[in-house]
Amino acid sequence: MMIESSGQKILKVLLYVFLIIMAAIMILPFLWMISASLKQDRDVFTFPIQWIPEEPEWANYSKIWTQIPLLTYILNTVKLTVIVTLLQLFTSSFAAYAFAKLRFKGRNALFLGYVATIAVPWQAYMVPQFIMLRSMGLNNTHLAIIILQAFSAFGVFMMKQFYEGIPTELCEAARIDGMTEYGIYAKIMLPLAKPSLSTLTIFTFVNTWNDFLGPYIYLTRDAKKTIQLGLRSFIGQYSSEYGLIMAGSVVTMIPVIAVFLALQKYFVEGVASSGLKG
Amino acid sequence: MKKVLVALLVALIAMTGVFAGGNSDGADDGTTTLTWAVWDYATTPYYDALINAYEASHPGVNVEVIDLGSADYQTALQIQLSGGGSEFDVVAVKDIPGYNNLVKAGLLANLAPLAERDGIDTSAYGGIVEQVTVDGGFYELPFRSDFWVVFYNKDLFDAAGVDYPTNDMTFEEYDALARALTSGSGASKVYGAHYHTWRSAIQLFGILDGKHQITDGGDYSYLKPYYEMAINQQNDGVVQDYATLKTSNIHYSGVFYNESVAMMNMGSWYIATLIAANNDGTSDAENWGIVKYPHAEGVEPGTTLGTITALAIPTGTDKQEEAWDFVKFVCGAEGAEVLAGTGSFPALTNDEINNIIASTPGFPTDENSKEALNVAQLYLEMPLHDKSAEIEVVLNEFHDQIMTGNMSIDDGLAEMGRRVDEVLAN
Amino acid sequence: MLKKKASEAPAFTANGLPIDRSIKIVKSEAARKAELKSNLVAYSFIAPNFIGFAIFTLIPIVFAFALAFLNWNGNTEMTWAGFDNFAYIFKNEMFLASLKNTFLYTIGTVPLTLVVSLFLAIVLNQKIKGKNFFRTVSFFPYVGSLVAITAVWNMLFNPSMGPINEILMRLGVENPPRWIADNDWAMFTIVLFSVWKYMGYYMVIYLAGLQGINTELYEAASIDGVNTWQKFWYVTLPQLKNTTFFILIMLTIQCFKVYDIVYMLAGAGSGALSEATTVLVYEIYNSAFRYWRLGVASAEALVLFAIVLVVTIVQFKLDKD
Repeated sequence: MMIESSGQKILKVLLYVFLIIMAAIMILPFLWMISASLKQDRDVFTFPIQWIPEEPEWANYSKIWTQIPLLTYILNTVKLTVIVTLLQLFTSSFAAYAFAKLRFKGRNALFLGYVATIAVPWQAYMVPQFIMLRSMGLNNTHLAIIILQAFSAFGVFMMKQFYEGIPTELCEAARIDGMTEYGIYAKIMLPLAKPSLSTLTIFTFVNTWNDFLGPYIYLTRDAKKTIQLGLRSFIGQYSSEYGLIMAGSVVTMIPVIAVFLALQKYFVEGVASSGLKG
Repeated sequence: MKKVLVALLVALIAMTGVFAGGNSDGADDGTTTLTWAVWDYATTPYYDALINAYEASHPGVNVEVIDLGSADYQTALQIQLSGGGSEFDVVAVKDIPGYNNLVKAGLLANLAPLAERDGIDTSAYGGIVEQVTVDGGFYELPFRSDFWVVFYNKDLFDAAGVDYPTNDMTFEEYDALARALTSGSGASKVYGAHYHTWRSAIQLFGILDGKHQITDGGDYSYLKPYYEMAINQQNDGVVQDYATLKTSNIHYSGVFYNESVAMMNMGSWYIATLIAANNDGTSDAENWGIVKYPHAEGVEPGTTLGTITALAIPTGTDKQEEAWDFVKFVCGAEGAEVLAGTGSFPALTNDEINNIIASTPGFPTDENSKEALNVAQLYLEMPLHDKSAEIEVVLNEFHDQIMTGNMSIDDGLAEMGRRVDEVLAN
Repeated sequence: MLKKKASEAPAFTANGLPIDRSIKIVKSEAARKAELKSNLVAYSFIAPNFIGFAIFTLIPIVFAFALAFLNWNGNTEMTWAGFDNFAYIFKNEMFLASLKNTFLYTIGTVPLTLVVSLFLAIVLNQKIKGKNFFRTVSFFPYVGSLVAITAVWNMLFNPSMGPINEILMRLGVENPPRWIADNDWAMFTIVLFSVWKYMGYYMVIYLAGLQGINTELYEAASIDGVNTWQKFWYVTLPQLKNTTFFILIMLTIQCFKVYDIVYMLAGAGSGALSEATTVLVYEIYNSAFRYWRLGVASAEALVLFAIVLVVTIVQFKLDKD
């Protein structure tokens, strides 16, 4: 954008003021979280809010590793998250191609069915699903979580919407050149879909990372548990260790932020900048 | 294209292979492993103590603990047991509504025939077993029983120049004490009393005269005097505002540690927690005591609310006899001693057990505090009822509506009665 | 327009042959084979996702829907209920209240989130100093653990001692709202929280969508002397149609399924949501896991499903016009 007049300059200043206020609103709770993570449990919820603890309780950050097997939980979570994300990326981007660019019997009905099932709350079919998976011997296995998370309709829907923005002419040209549909998917669609693939990566990553209910139902043994289960275990029947919850939340948020930062550059590298123009 | 199809097929076969693998951990070396479902394993001292004691006297038996977490324990437990498959041999049962659900679904084994066969004296549990009996059978045996008392901070009483509360205190006296101890403002504010956000902290004052069951529905106006007392205290700044407590997760233990409340009605589980907190310096309230619950005119002092923790055996286990042996141990005299040794109150109680707890280092040394451990009459926080889960939700809802001031006491209680009636009718 | 409408997009079969509708009635052997092959190719794309989805999600869902007409507690025998479960829920005040609240919540949240996230995405798609920082920060609320962020939010909005009300009082508001503790303000507070939590999430989707817009369109518009607002209205918005459609549907579904944030904000202290804050999935949760009436829970879920299905079909239809 060119800066043409002083009016635009003022606009720009206003924009920055707005952004800074917004950033403050977004970040304030996290500053509180960090502050609370350095307090004793009994001081976490006192008024007026004390932003900088008088005697920072650094021990919280060492306790979270010893009081629960946090390292095991993190490794489990990393394993699940990586596998689920990869599977999700592949199966969703693959299926979405058919929905977006191919014509076949039952396409619309199938697609609507896919989307509509997203609307069924998990609470409603959790028990039948659990009984089914248990009878397959999947209770207390990571495979159960992988299976539940990896084949979501969400990813298919999202990828389809993005593919539809890619000009169909590109596919047609490739077909005339004798490329198979698989070739078109791999060589034309995927490279163009980087922004949406990275978006899907982030979402799947965050979802699996922060998933509580799935692991809670399926993973009851310490050796299999994930981070979110560990964090909840600080909430007890008669006492809750909020200092530790906050310290754990801070630590486990770091990888997610790192993934976001790493993938962020792909949001701005889409069709427009890759030199291909419809 | 063929290649992709082949690859897909291979992937599918690989997946079914994994399914077929299943989990088979049946290495038989003569030892029996009992799997026990509990909550808060890491922060509860008696689980390990009980297991160690049991394993020491029963060689060849291993007890393995599965922690299902505290907040949704009953939900997680019932899901695990649903469909009749159980990987647990013994399960802890956390509350009455949860117990009722499990019994209704036929997921717990009837312990009555076993108890009769082995000559277990159920009257030793002070009437609790009778309170959990359904159609002549009982499906859990309590091992832990807590009752409500009033904790108070002696330093704050001394500073205000007010005499300590006694074991014979009416609600009027209690209210007057709370008001006399309220002082200061800002960071140095001292509240005379404190009610945690649970409905049982206020609502159940009303059932202590033994004339009403909270599950009866209909007319709840007998709770009015207690809500009036609490709301007035709240308006006068004698207790902390309910809405504030609720929305800021303020925990009762913290406010007592910080010496910002003079009196607090709370369950006996808090005794062990408070002693531990005083020992490791988390708490400043080192000079404390307990007295019996306040009572209405004509009600015997020592009448109070109780909450029990029990053990049950899922119908799905194939180790019922081994599990029953463990249940007998934990809920019996040996288990009771172990529990008392960790500062917790066993369900099987007597003077000796109270002596063990009162002699725990850190327990107040005055006679009144020791005397406060003698319970005259115990009412369960939630009596067993076919609809207890539904009723509980309604009771919680209107407790909240009254205490946040969204409804007047009269309206709230009237609605509560109407809605409980509706639950009962369906 | 670069994008064709979904319904007419592929004018070719999978093997690149134009579809000739005139010979559809009397198909030659070869044409039938070609159609079969193109169908198979399409199915092979869908299969990896669909098979997993069908076995592990679809089958349990179908089972759950059947449960709506049965009584079941998760273990003992099922008994036939017919429409009893539906009759029961439509008499149940709390369920009806939850329907109303969920609608209100959705109506409040969807447009607000949509507008705010689009605005953020467009602003953060400009050449702005520190945009990486701003983008990351707006994604924070989505990432943060729910226990932690609802705790903070409730602290900040605490009716008597929270900083928000302190500021309001200093600004001269005599009786600031009691937010989540007040029946009249509770749902509004929850909407605010939702917008705050999810705007960064949908901003990310919009950002990805914005990358798909051909820059030539803007260049052409610039040559025609079009102003910024017109560019937004005539280029950006139509080009984002697919993305907006996706967000609209996902956001609607997500709003209808809202549960945990409501419970953590309004119910965690007392263990129950009131008539003013209860939502559909909370009622479903209660029926299923507090009362173990799985048939009732399924009936409630079926109602939720039907509502979302109608809304989704309407949105699909509107998208095609």
